[in-house]
Amino acid sequence: MKKFHFISAMLIIGSMILAACGGGAPSAEDCSSEEVFCVGLVTDVGKINDKSFNQSAWEGVLKSQEDGVADVVQFIETADAKDYAKNIAQFGDAGYDVIVTVGFGLGEATNAAAATYPNVRFIGVDQFNAETVAGVSGLNFPEDNAGFLVGALAAMMSETNKIGAVCGTDVVPPVWRFGEGYKAGAAYADAEMGTTTEVFVVYHSDVGFDKTFTDPEWGAQTAKSMMDQGADAIFGCGGLTGNGAITAAAQAGAYAIGVDTDQYLTLPEAAPRMLSSAMKLITPGVADLIAATKDGSIQDGNVFGDAGYAPFHDLDGEVPAEVKAKMEEINAGLLDGSITTDVPPVKP
Amino acid sequence: MQSEKRSNSLARQILQSVMDASLVPFLAILTAVIFGGIIIKIVGGDPILSYRGLIEGSFGSTKALSETAVWATPYIFAGLAVALAFKGGLFNIGAEGQLAVGAVVSSLIGYALPEWLGYDIPAIIHLPLAILFGVLMGGVWAGIVGALKAYTGGHEVINTIMMNYIALNTTSFLLNGVMKDRSPTNVIARTPLIADSARIPPLFEGLRIHWGFIFALLVAFFIWWLLTKTTLGFQIRTVGLNPDAAKYAGINVKRIIILTMVLSGMLAGMAGTIEVTGLNYRHELGFSIGYGFDAIAIALLGKSHPLGVVLASFLFAAMRNGATRMQFLTQMPVDLISMIQAFILLFVAADAIIRYIYRIKSKGERVVLTRGWGG
Repeated sequence: MKKFHFISAMLIIGSMILAACGGGAPSAEDCSSEEVFCVGLVTDVGKINDKSFNQSAWEGVLKSQEDGVADVVQFIETADAKDYAKNIAQFGDAGYDVIVTVGFGLGEATNAAAATYPNVRFIGVDQFNAETVAGVSGLNFPEDNAGFLVGALAAMMSETNKIGAVCGTDVVPPVWRFGEGYKAGAAYADAEMGTTTEVFVVYHSDVGFDKTFTDPEWGAQTAKSMMDQGADAIFGCGGLTGNGAITAAAQAGAYAIGVDTDQYLTLPEAAPRMLSSAMKLITPGVADLIAATKDGSIQDGNVFGDAGYAPFHDLDGEVPAEVKAKMEEINAGLLDGSITTDVPPVKP
Repeated sequence: MQSEKRSNSLARQILQSVMDASLVPFLAILTAVIFGGIIIKIVGGDPILSYRGLIEGSFGSTKALSETAVWATPYIFAGLAVALAFKGGLFNIGAEGQLAVGAVVSSLIGYALPEWLGYDIPAIIHLPLAILFGVLMGGVWAGIVGALKAYTGGHEVINTIMMNYIALNTTSFLLNGVMKDRSPTNVIARTPLIADSARIPPLFEGLRIHWGFIFALLVAFFIWWLLTKTTLGFQIRTVGLNPDAAKYAGINVKRIIILTMVLSGMLAGMAGTIEVTGLNYRHELGFSIGYGFDAIAIALLGKSHPLGVVLASFLFAAMRNGATRMQFLTQMPVDLISMIQAFILLFVAADAIIRYIYRIKSKGERVVLTRGWGG
C-alpha cells in the first residue's frame, strides 16, 4: 500500500516537472531587439508597493509606458542585499535599455553593473556619485527646496508663530538640507507676510548611524518638548525618528508634516492631522530620465529632479485660499529659479 | 553466492533506510509546492510559468547554478551547525549571532591585520588566519552558552537567543563605530574592504561561486565522519539521545555539551566567515540577516543528517536564487518563496499531516529537538 502511494507521488511530481518544462514561452517581447524599448526596475530591499521610494520610482516607469516611451516594463523586488548584482544582471542579460535602481544602497552595484553592461542606461534614484560613472545617471533631489516649501507652509499656518522640525543626523547632507531649507522657507514666509516665526530645528546628531534614523521615542519626545514651548506645526525628517515626531504631533493635535513622499499615505495614525509632506518628485523625475534616454539627451552623472509638497488631504478645508495661492507662487518660484533657498550642498 | 546475496540485501537495506528517512521531507516539499501552486493560481498567477522561472533561475544556466551555490554555501555551514547541535540534544537558535561575530572578526583580521603589522601578508597565511579567527569567535560565542548549560543548567534556547541580541547589537555598534568604513562617501554601516590576501578566490573567472563552496561540501563530509565514525561523534549522539544513560556509561556529559556547542558555533562562525572572505569581501549590517534562522529550517528538513543538510541547503538556495527569475517572468511577489518554505517546514515539523495525507506509517526514530527545561 505504501509503495503505491509513493509511486503515485512520484508520478505527480514527474508530471509537474514535465509540465514545467513544456510550459508556454513567456509572451514578453524581445528586449534585445533595437525596436523594443525596455525598462527594468530593481527595488532596494523592500516591496514595490511600499508607498515610498520603490513605489514612486515604479510609478515613474509605468508613466513612461503610458506615455508611449517604454514598450516593456518590469520590476524585481530585492529580498537580500547580496542579490543586488544578480537582480540587475537579470535585466542586463535580457537586453533591457534602461535599468532603474532605487535607493543609495544599490549605488555600488549600479556603478559596477554599468561597466558590465555598457549599452544600458542606469538611472540610480537617490544615488549621488562624487565622480561621474559612464552609463549612470544619478537622480537626486533638491531637499532644501522641499524643506523650504513646508517651512513656508508651516510658518503661514502656525497660530502660535512657533514651528519645529525633528530630523536625523545633520552629517547626512540631504537631512541637513531639509532642515536648513525649512528654516529658510519660514524666514521667506515671514518676510512676505510680515510675521515673526520662531523655528526650532533639532538634528539627532548625538547618536550613531544605527540609531539616528530609527529612534521614534526620541523623535516623539523632542516633538513634545517643542510643543510644550508652543510649537503647533512639526516637520519630521529622518526615517522612523521623524515618523515618531510626526505621530506625536498629530496625536497632540498639532500640524504634522512628512518627508520624502506623501506620508499621509504611509502613516495612517497621523493622517488626520497631516498638513503636507516635503516631497521628492520621484515619479516625474524617473519618467523624464527614461524619456531623455530614448531621445538620446541624457547625461552621465548627477541629475536633479524637482521637489514639491504633498496635497493637504483631510486638512484641505483648514488651509486658507491665500495660503494655497502663496504656496503655488513659492513652488513656481523655486522651479523657475526666481526664489532660491541659499542652502549650500553640504554643511559647511 | 551466499555473501553476494548478503551484500545485496545490505545495499537494499541502506537504500531502504535512505528512502525511509527522505520520504517525509520529500513529500513535504512536494505538498508545499502544490500548495504554493494553488495559491499562485488563486492570486491570479500562472503556477507553471512561476515554477518554470524558479527552476530556470536556479539551475537554468551556468550563472544561475553558480548563484545557487553561492546561496547554498553559508546555508550548508549554518545548517550543519544547527544539525550538529540537534544530534547532541541541543537547540542552537544562536547561529545568527555566531555567524555575525564570525563575520565581524574575520573581516577585522581581513582588513586590519596588514595595517597593524605595517606590511602585506601572503595569502597563504592571511586567508587561513581570517577564517580561523572568525571560526574560533563563533565557537567561543556558542561555547559560553554550552558552559552555562553544563554548569548551571541554563537552557541553551534562552541563552542563544540572548547571545543573538548581544552579538547583533555589538556588531551594529562596531560597524557604526571603530570598524566603520571611513571612505568619505560612505554612509552605510560596513567595514572597509578586506585585503586581497584574505579573499577566497573564485572557482571560475567571471562567476561568483568560490572555493568556499567546495570547502562546505568537505566540511559536511567531515561532520558525517565525525558523527558516525568517531568516539566523539558517538558520545555526542549518546548525550543527545539520553544524557543520563551517557553519564552512566562513563561519558563526561558536561564536557560533551560544551564541546557540541563549541563545534556548532564554529560551523556557524564559518558561515559568516565564508560570506566575508568568499563573497562580500567586507561585513555590512544587513548582510546575512536571517541565515541563522533559515539554518534551523534546513537542519529540520535535512533530518540533521549532513547529507540531508546539504540537500536541504540546495533546495533553499535554489528557491531564494530562482525567485528573481520567477518574479521577472511572472511578477509574482518573492514572498511566495518564504511561504513555500514555511509550508515545507510546517509539514516536516508536524509530519503527522504528511503521514496522514499519504498514509505512511511512522517508523519509530524521531529527532530529539530539545529536552525540557533544565533537562
